Amino acid sequence: MVTRRTFMFSSGALAVAVALPLRGADLAGVAAATDFVTAYLEVGRDGRVRLHSPTTEMGQGTHTGHAVIIADELGVDLEQVTVVTAEPADPFRRNGQMGSGGSWGVRYWYEPLRKAAAQARETLLAAAAAQWAVPADELRLERGRIVHAESSRSIGIGAVAAAAGNLPMPENPRLRPRSELRYTGRTVPRVDLGPKVRGEPVFASDMARPGMVFACACLSPVFGAELHDFDRQPALGVPGVLDVVPVPGGAAVVASDTWAALRGAESLSIRFKPTPHDGLDSDTISRQMRAGLEPEAQPIQARGDGDWSAVERAAGGRVVEAVYEVPYLCHAPMEPWNCTVEIDAGGTLHIWAPVQTQDRNRNAAAAAAGVPPEKVRLHTTLLGGGFGRRLGSDGIAAAVVVARAVKRPVKFFWRREDEFGQGWYRPAQVARLRAVLDAEGRVLGLHVRTAGPSLANSFGAQGLPAGQLDGSSVQTIRESRYRPGAFHVEWARVDQPVPMAPWRSVGATQNGYFLESFIDEVALAAGRDPWQLRRELLAHDARALNVIDTAARAAGWGEPLPKGRARGMAFVESYGSLCAEVAEVSLRDGRPYVHRVVCALDCGSVVLPDGVKSQVEGGIVQGLSAALGEAVRIADGRAQDRNFDTYEILRMSAAPERIETVIIESGEPMGGVGEPPLPPIAPAVVNAVLALTGRPTRSLPISQHRYA
Amino acid sequence: MQFKLKVNGESRSFEADPEMPLLWALRDFLDLKGAKYGCGIGACGACTVHVNGRPMRSCVVPLEAVATAEIRTIEALGGDHPVQRAWLEEQVPQCGYCQTGQIMQAVALLEQSPEPTREDVRRGMDAVLCRCGTYPRIEAAVLRAAKSMPRKSGG
Repeated sequence: MVTRRTFMFSSGALAVAVALPLRGADLAGVAAATDFVTAYLEVGRDGRVRLHSPTTEMGQGTHTGHAVIIADELGVDLEQVTVVTAEPADPFRRNGQMGSGGSWGVRYWYEPLRKAAAQARETLLAAAAAQWAVPADELRLERGRIVHAESSRSIGIGAVAAAAGNLPMPENPRLRPRSELRYTGRTVPRVDLGPKVRGEPVFASDMARPGMVFACACLSPVFGAELHDFDRQPALGVPGVLDVVPVPGGAAVVASDTWAALRGAESLSIRFKPTPHDGLDSDTISRQMRAGLEPEAQPIQARGDGDWSAVERAAGGRVVEAVYEVPYLCHAPMEPWNCTVEIDAGGTLHIWAPVQTQDRNRNAAAAAAGVPPEKVRLHTTLLGGGFGRRLGSDGIAAAVVVARAVKRPVKFFWRREDEFGQGWYRPAQVARLRAVLDAEGRVLGLHVRTAGPSLANSFGAQGLPAGQLDGSSVQTIRESRYRPGAFHVEWARVDQPVPMAPWRSVGATQNGYFLESFIDEVALAAGRDPWQLRRELLAHDARALNVIDTAARAAGWGEPLPKGRARGMAFVESYGSLCAEVAEVSLRDGRPYVHRVVCALDCGSVVLPDGVKSQVEGGIVQGLSAALGEAVRIADGRAQDRNFDTYEILRMSAAPERIETVIIESGEPMGGVGEPPLPPIAPAVVNAVLALTGRPTRSLPISQHRYA
Repeated sequence: MQFKLKVNGESRSFEADPEMPLLWALRDFLDLKGAKYGCGIGACGACTVHVNGRPMRSCVVPLEAVATAEIRTIEALGGDHPVQRAWLEEQVPQCGYCQTGQIMQAVALLEQSPEPTREDVRRGMDAVLCRCGTYPRIEAAVLRAAKSMPRKSGG
């Protein structure tokens, strides 16, 4: 039966009181009886282990990574482990917030989860030791059974779970040696794929509750405009429409089924208040950002190695200069925003939602309902894509308002046009890069100015104070390992009224493109090989050298290619991992076509090798998609691209024919994997095009250019 | 309007607006949630089902147009279909939201051309978008499934 228990335990630095809700079979099967519970895992009498993961599973595979960590350290078969996303509580928070971003899923949680599993193992062993009256150190836990070799006895962990539940947990459990880990570093099947391949209802949009009604959002197409008024009568005339409810940012048409809600939304007559940016368009944004590159703009310095001014003034220096620009990008997860809200008789809100930030969304829901966060039970479903779009909480308050108004369970949903149109984009940005070369073509100095809106100002809770640096605006350039002599990096803030949010690999997407494209322009100007120039700039750094050398050699850098093909290289570090990619490109109908990509990724160490490969492939395809065709064009204060007919997501026939991944386990601290493979592909492709045509590509997407 | 729809070999009766897209009848009225809403304009393919054996975007197919058609959804594949097995063997899905549409597109493709070339697969799967970027694995899975699909006897 479904119960709710509060457990208190103390484990060294991790002293927590955990309200651990044992959830019903509403989203995943629950063990029939659960006797042994830690913050992260439950052991049922049937021996099944239920893991409460601190992360959202949105396709990146962290639930499988966590299951592997637990199965290995505890000593059970992977098939014994069921994973659900936890509800917000202290053990699941990183820096005070529960959420999934920054490619932290495995690298941050590896040690806490391993320790929790080791604590559980030693406690289960202690319970068995007491039952058999033998020393605990004579017992082993293997494949879900506790074994006493001397007496040839064994017992399943489920049989001692009840006894273990009454024992204290050790503060400093022994961790298993690597040789005892059966799954870590090996190819294992993902734990979430069976239901996905069978088409089972695992997503928030699949959720159904008795008596549920459907609410379609009607939101302003102009960014941030407020509701003026609406005439509900035309909508109420649509069969099946039950009500029209004002919500933050607009209205919701409530109906007995989705189609009726959609038709009602189309017939709703709704007006929004004017905004100061009703006339905003992409050209204006571009012009304002480019003004941020002019001398009179007032940039904020982010890095200042050496004396750039002196290098620039020095006689005889040859200057290479280029200006780049990238557009706003939409995350476009395949599942448009939706959630289901049910308010029970006790006033508790149950919300099934696809979110990357549990505290943020729970708090937003509680605020909308006027209840404390404890009265909100947030059930995170599997997500139909996230990529940063679900870090926000912009969609949940309206759902709560509707549920309170209609007093029935509500599935609240956005149309695809709102998923595109409500904003929260990857920032548009421009950059001017300058390099000074000596007579031999050596780089003496590098100057980077980026200009554009502050992501932190848009997405941060308080906004970014004037004069402060937004790290994402110079991300990966500020921290670059290159030593180009004098190295000056700065950012000019040019805010815009377009909402922005972190987009997979965040500032590294645009800044990796700027810097790595420019390196190849410098190489061309200096008559240098792009790989060799990078080697020179990284000569002091063995780890980075190894990454670019591994990629270059695996790709056959310098070896002959069929006529009309060329290679391009890029190297971008982000989220703790170093990533080099080499793309092999030809032109088809004046556009780049990618035959092959070789990726070398140094992420320190690896839990799921096939999961890493999968993320590399996905990152390259998504990064290529953005580079080739993606842009949100803005006019009249709103997005002009509102669906997949004009916002060009890459399709299979344009995907790279081959992607080869070389994982480098350098033994350095574990790095992220979900984001780092994405940024290098755009510059790798345009660098190949540069090699092929001699033409640099100074703005994205590539689809606006034609190459001969 | 009263409908008697032939879905997955069964006759299913319900009352609905004749303009309602097939997708919403499947999801809201027949409790078949495998087909997904992605765009509502037939551009992304997450809603792909078979209508008389052909892959169609159910979000833009009105009920009145399929009143007498044979409709097949992923729920009819049974979970152990060669294409579903290949999907697991290649560990294709990431988020998984588009994958039911991908699988239905692949099944139709293989039923129409049992021995596709690589280019056939790459072009034949273009109708279904994947935002996670699983295309390399989809391609491998379709080619793998092609080797184990039952052949229609007598051509």
